[in-house]
Amino acid sequence: MTSAPPAARLGEFWRALADPLRARREEPLPRRLVDTAAAWSGARRATLYMREKDAWVRAACSIEGEDGPDLPDPIPTAPISAGAVLWVPLESEGEVHGHLGLEGIAPDDTEELALSVGFLLGALIGAHRLSRLVKEAEFEVKTRLLELESLYDLGLSFGGQLDLASLGDEVLFRSISLTDAGKGTLVLFDQGGKLLFERSLGGDLLPADQFASWALPEGEAVINNAAASVPTAGERLSSCQKCLAVAISVLGRRLGVLAVADKESRDGRVLDFTPTDARLLSLFANQAAAAIETARLHREAIEKERIERELELAAAIQREILPHSLPEVPGLQLAAANFPTRQVGGDYYDFFPLSGGRLGFLVADVSGKGVPAALLVSTVHAAVHLQIDEAKTIVELFERIDRHLRRYAATRKFLTIFFGLIEPDSGVLRYVSAGHNPALLVSTSGGIERLDSTGVPVGMLPNASWREETRTMRPGELLAVYTDGLTEAVNEAEEEFGLERLERAVHKRRDLPVQQLCDEVLSKVADFARDMPQYDDQTLLLVRRT
Amino acid sequence: MSEACKITVERRGDVAIFWTDGYINNQGGEEIARQAYTQLDSGARALVLDLGKTRIVNSIGISILIEVLEKVMDRKGTLAFCSLTPTIDKTFRIMGLAQYAAIYLTLEEAVKAAAPSGESAQQP
Repeated sequence: MTSAPPAARLGEFWRALADPLRARREEPLPRRLVDTAAAWSGARRATLYMREKDAWVRAACSIEGEDGPDLPDPIPTAPISAGAVLWVPLESEGEVHGHLGLEGIAPDDTEELALSVGFLLGALIGAHRLSRLVKEAEFEVKTRLLELESLYDLGLSFGGQLDLASLGDEVLFRSISLTDAGKGTLVLFDQGGKLLFERSLGGDLLPADQFASWALPEGEAVINNAAASVPTAGERLSSCQKCLAVAISVLGRRLGVLAVADKESRDGRVLDFTPTDARLLSLFANQAAAAIETARLHREAIEKERIERELELAAAIQREILPHSLPEVPGLQLAAANFPTRQVGGDYYDFFPLSGGRLGFLVADVSGKGVPAALLVSTVHAAVHLQIDEAKTIVELFERIDRHLRRYAATRKFLTIFFGLIEPDSGVLRYVSAGHNPALLVSTSGGIERLDSTGVPVGMLPNASWREETRTMRPGELLAVYTDGLTEAVNEAEEEFGLERLERAVHKRRDLPVQQLCDEVLSKVADFARDMPQYDDQTLLLVRRT
Repeated sequence: MSEACKITVERRGDVAIFWTDGYINNQGGEEIARQAYTQLDSGARALVLDLGKTRIVNSIGISILIEVLEKVMDRKGTLAFCSLTPTIDKTFRIMGLAQYAAIYLTLEEAVKAAAPSGESAQQP
C-alpha cells in the first residue's frame, strides 16, 4: 500500500462489516468477509485466500458452490487487476494475511476500494490469525500441563494400585490419549516369559508372542514412522502406518511392551510420532515398570502370607493334638518333647492311660512335611483314639489304624509308629514298631538294647503285618523313643548327630529325673547342630519304671 | 469399552442427551459434533453429554468438543458433561472445557440443570 484509504470509504466499509461480525458469529469468518466485501464493493463475486501453514488456500467464495478464480502466479504483493479480477493483498503490520479477488467492479473505483478493503480486512484477518495462534498456543500449553499432571497422577494411582488389570488399563489408555494415537497395545509377561496381561485398543498391533521378541532398548521408546515398510519385531506391521514402542523393564528384566500407533490429526491424516511422544511414552513405561513390579511383589507377599497363615492354623491344630500335660501313672516317670522344624511338623506322640493302671504310648513320624503331614497326623490321632478301646492287641490296633488311613487319609502317605503298652506293676512292656527308629531300652547298669522295627511303616504296603514283642522293664530301667529328627540332626560339617551320640547322651545322664534328662538330650542335639537349619521334626519320649 | 465411539442421542424437549461409548478421538469427536449440530439445528438449546462409558479422550477429541462448545455458546445454548471418570474430569478442567461447560456427577443432575423447569426435559 502506498497511501492511506480515504476515511469516508473506510467508515462505510467498517459499518458494512459490523453486522456480520457481531450477528453472524456462527458462520466462519472468511464466509462473512467475502459476503460483506462483495456486497459493499458491488463485485459480482469475491474470493478469499488465506495462509494455511506455508500455502495459500481458498478460504471462501461469495457465491455458494463456486470456487472463484485461482490466485495469480506470481502472487501479487500490491493490488493488481488480472483479467476481470482485482486482486488485493490483505496486509497488516507488514505481513500479508490473505488475498481477496473481486470480480466485476467498476474500473474507476479500484484504487480507493483496494485501499479500504486491504486495510480493514488485513487487520481483521491478522487479528483473527493472531487469536487462533494464541488459542493454539494455549491449547499446547494446556496439553503439556495435562501430560505433566498425568505423569503425576499415574505415580499417585500406581502407588495405590495393585490390581494388574486396572494398572494395565491405566497405562495403556493414558499412553494412547496423550500421544493422540489411534490405537495401542500393552502386553505384560511373568518372570518365566508367560503372557500375564494383554490389552489392545483399536486392534492388535502384533500377535502377543511377538512382543516378547521385539528388540527394544531398555527404557527408551523407539519411533517407527514407516511401520508398514520397515520390519518391526521381524514383521512388517500391516495393522498400522506408524508406531512408537517401549520396553517395560526392571533391572534388565523385560516385563512387557507398550506400543501405540497412528498418531491422529484434526484433518484425519496420520502424523509422525515425535521425540516428545517418545519421551512421554518412555516416562510412562518407567513408571509402569515400577508399579507393575510392586504389584507383582505384593501378590507374592500376599500368597506367602496366606501360606504362613495356613501353616499357623495347622500348627495350632497340631498343638491341640499333642498332649497338653503328661498323665500321672503310679510306678512310671514320663517325659516328652516335640520341636517341629517348620511351623507344622510330621511328628506325633501321645499317651493313653488304660484300664488296670496300664499305659499306652506312641511316637509316630509321618512322611512329608508341612500341612499335608499335619493333616495325616490329625488322621492318625483320630484313628488311634477311635480304635484303642476296640483293639484287643497292639497288632490289631495297627491293622485298624492301617485300614482307617487307607479309607480316610486324603493323601497316599505312610508313617512309622512305635507303640508301647506297659504294665507298671509287672514291668511288662509289649510293643510294635512299624518301621520306626530303634527305641533304646537302657538298663540300670547302663546296657542299652535297641528295640528294632517289627514291621513295615503303616500305610506303606497293602496286607502288611506286624509282630508284637515283649520285654520286661526292671525298676529304674528307661525306655527312650524318638524320631529320626534327633539322630539325623546335622552340624555345620554336615555330620549327623547319629544313634551312637544319642545312646551316649542318654546313657551318661540316665540317672537324672526323666524330664531333666529329656531337656539335656535335646539341648545336646541343639548344641551339636548350632545354627544349622534342621529339616526334620525332633521328638523324644522317655518312660522310666520306678 | 468398545473401540470406535458409539453415540446414542435422545431428545427431551429442548435438551439433547448424548451417551458416548468408546474412544473420543478424531472420529468419535467428529461424530459427536455432527450429531450435536443436527440437534442444535433442530432447536435443541441444551446439550448434555454422558461420558459414562468413555474412558479415553485425546487432544483432537477435546479440540472438537471445544468447537462444539463454541458453537453452542454462539447460539446462547448450554453444554454440560456428566458421569466422567476422574481422569477425564481432570482432563476437561485442565484443558479449559469446564470453564464454559458445566460438569455434573450424574445424568439426572445434568438434565435437571439443563431444563430447570422440569417441563421440557420430561421423557415422552
